[in-house]
Parts: sequence; C-alpha cells; structure tokens
Amino acid sequence: MIRLAATRPVLRQLCSSLLAGILVVLCTRTGAAQDPDPLLKLDPNSRFAIELMLDSAKAEGIPTRPLLSRALEGINRKADGKTVAAAVRKALGHLRTARSALGGVAEDELIAAAAVLEAGAKPAQLAVFRVRHKDRNDLAAFTYWADLITRGVPSEDASSAITKLWQDGADDATFYSLWKSVQSDILQGLNPGAALQNRIRETPGRAPSSKSPPDGPQETQSL
Amino acid sequence: MTDSDQHPYVEWIAREAQRPVVTDPAARERIMLAVRAEPMPQRRSRVWQRVFEPRALRLSPIASTLLAAGLVGIGVITGKVVNNRDVRPPVGEPKVHAEVPQLPVSDTVVKFVFVAPEASKVSVVGDFNGWNATTTPMVRTANDSVWTVTLPLTAGRHVYSFVVDGSSWNADPHAPLAPDDGFGRPNSVRIVGRGSAL
Repeated sequence: MIRLAATRPVLRQLCSSLLAGILVVLCTRTGAAQDPDPLLKLDPNSRFAIELMLDSAKAEGIPTRPLLSRALEGINRKADGKTVAAAVRKALGHLRTARSALGGVAEDELIAAAAVLEAGAKPAQLAVFRVRHKDRNDLAAFTYWADLITRGVPSEDASSAITKLWQDGADDATFYSLWKSVQSDILQGLNPGAALQNRIRETPGRAPSSKSPPDGPQETQSL
Repeated sequence: MTDSDQHPYVEWIAREAQRPVVTDPAARERIMLAVRAEPMPQRRSRVWQRVFEPRALRLSPIASTLLAAGLVGIGVITGKVVNNRDVRPPVGEPKVHAEVPQLPVSDTVVKFVFVAPEASKVSVVGDFNGWNATTTPMVRTANDSVWTVTLPLTAGRHVYSFVVDGSSWNADPHAPLAPDDGFGRPNSVRIVGRGSAL
C-alpha cells in the first residue's frame, strides 16, 4: 500500500502528460482538417473588401479562382492588406473588361485575356478576338501576347503582331516559336520592339493543326 | 503540591497501565495455526518483479516538466507525420474532372526546373498550391545547381514563381512572363495541355 501510494503521483503525472500529447495531436489534426480561411491573415478591412469582391465576381459569373489566387499570392509575398486588396480589385476589373470584350469564353482564356489587359493592351485590341472560331483555343495567343508586352515590346506592336498571326490561323506552336525567338533576341540585348519586328517577318501564319480551318465566326458582336 | 494530589485518577491510571496484560495462552497457537493454513505466496521471477512490480519513482518538478514536454513533442511529431501522409489537396490544387474524356487531368505531370547554385532551398509556388512556399519544395539534383520538382497539374494556364531560400521570388527564365500583378515582380506562366505541358 505504501508503495502504491508513492507511485500514484508519478502515474498521475504520466497520465496527464499523455493526455496533453493526445490533445495536441488532436488539435493539430483538427486544425489541418478545418483549413482555416487564408484571408484571416489580412486585416479585417482588407479581408472584408476582398470577400465583397469575391461575392460580386461570383454573382457576375466571373471566376473567383484567379482572385483568390491573387490574394493568396499577396499574403504569401507578405504584402500589406491594402496592397493585396488593391491587386484583387485590379484583377477583378481586368476580368470584367475581358469578359465584356470577349463574351463567353473558357475560364482559362478569360484569365489569360485579363492578363493581356493587365500587361497594357487595350480592350478594343482584345475585342478582335471575340470573333470565335470553332474548336480554337486562344490561351497560348493571349499568354505570349501578355509576355511580349511585359518584356518591353510596345503594346501596339505586340497586339498587331499577335492579332495578325491569329487572323492568319496560326497555331499554338507558331505563337510559341515567335515568342521563343523574340525572347532569345531580347536576352541577347536586342531592343524588344525591334526583336518582334524582325521575327514576325519570318513567322508565317499557319492554319491550325486541328482537322479543319476555322468554321467562321460564331459571334460577330464586338465592343 | 503534586499533580496526584489534584488528580486522584492519575495514580489509578498509572497502576492500571503498569499491571501486566494477561493473555490467553492458546491465542498464540491459534494465530500460528491460522497463518500456517494460508497458502504460501508464489515467488515470481526477477524479471517479472522488475517489470511489473510497483515501485516508487521520484521526479523533481523540472524532470516531470521535461518528461511532459517530451511526450507533447512526440505527440506533435506524430501528428505532423500523420497529417503529411494525408492526400488532401491544398487550396487551388487541381482536382480530377470526371467529364474529361481523355486521361484524367491530374495525370498531366509537369516538371519544374530552376538553376540556383547558391541556394540552400528552393520551392515552387503558384496558383496550384496556394502560393505557399512550404508546400512544394524542390530537390537539388546531382548537378548541384539545378533544382527540380514534378507535379500533377490540371490542363490550362498556371501562374507560378520560384522562391529561393524562403524569401526571394524569381520568375522562370524559360517560361512566358505574367504581367506584374501588383506585388512588384512578374510571375511565370505555364500552359498545360492534356497529357503534355508547353
């Protein structure tokens, strides 16, 4: 009995320690399972503003994925709440404008088109692409277009080059080839505008490699 | 004057206490008979005694605190290991779209490569992992300056960057740039086709 009595406090300590460990494990698992709202890292005002924008986007049928992604990027880049909210607002504005310019397009195309606007292209330049061609995806065209402007090619030059290629029925490989050549020239020190002008001359417009040429416009409305 | 003068019972109590106790002579024999009637306890082996016999442990407060901290630590590490084994996609990670008739979209595997000879750690962040620098660490190859990671991504457009040593965000020099989105440095874009990535 004396032995047992002496053992009890130690057992009690061990039990409480074990209990604490189990609680910590449970808390860790529960926390991970709940996936706490990442926007909680922002100050209440910025968070509220972003949540309003997400709600508006959802109501307008604009994808919220790029907006949330933009917010998360800002949070992980340690930007302050106002900067994050401003970046999300800007992204929402570009998505709205792209939607107006292009009409109903696939989500990825819309996001890429918004990036073209963000790079500096004008909505009217984008609206040319509203004339949709069946089975054609303009994701690559928009992506390389935005890249060229971001690398310093004048917006007008980049827009007319991409638009011309697109109207000629260039496929993704052609856009990629043009981009690769221009990027290489820019990295070698050539003026971005001159690099594009040189390369666009040697880039033939090609019909898309899919079965048939474009079936003609499905929508002809433009801004 | 003594106490006994004041308390007449004291002497009586003392006398009673000094009187020898008369016991039944047979009592001792009865007790011994009862003891002999009890079965002899079995003697357990030493190993048994060491392992299972209760013993008194003495722990100082600091020792018990350290013990508790150690147990909590074991709990936390176990929890982390178990959580890491979970196949839960992080925010923005691709999901399999059943309606795609070809290969499942998440079967499109994309390899990211970044050259950073001086870096001690590199990770890829993007819309596919919630821009979290701890989610997708890259692995230094035998070349020592090249870091790589392979990821399943959904078909479509993905924006990403490489984070060097946890703080420096870098665009991919071999991929198209996304315009500056308000945070100072442009990201890169990867277009992932079904079954292959540009």
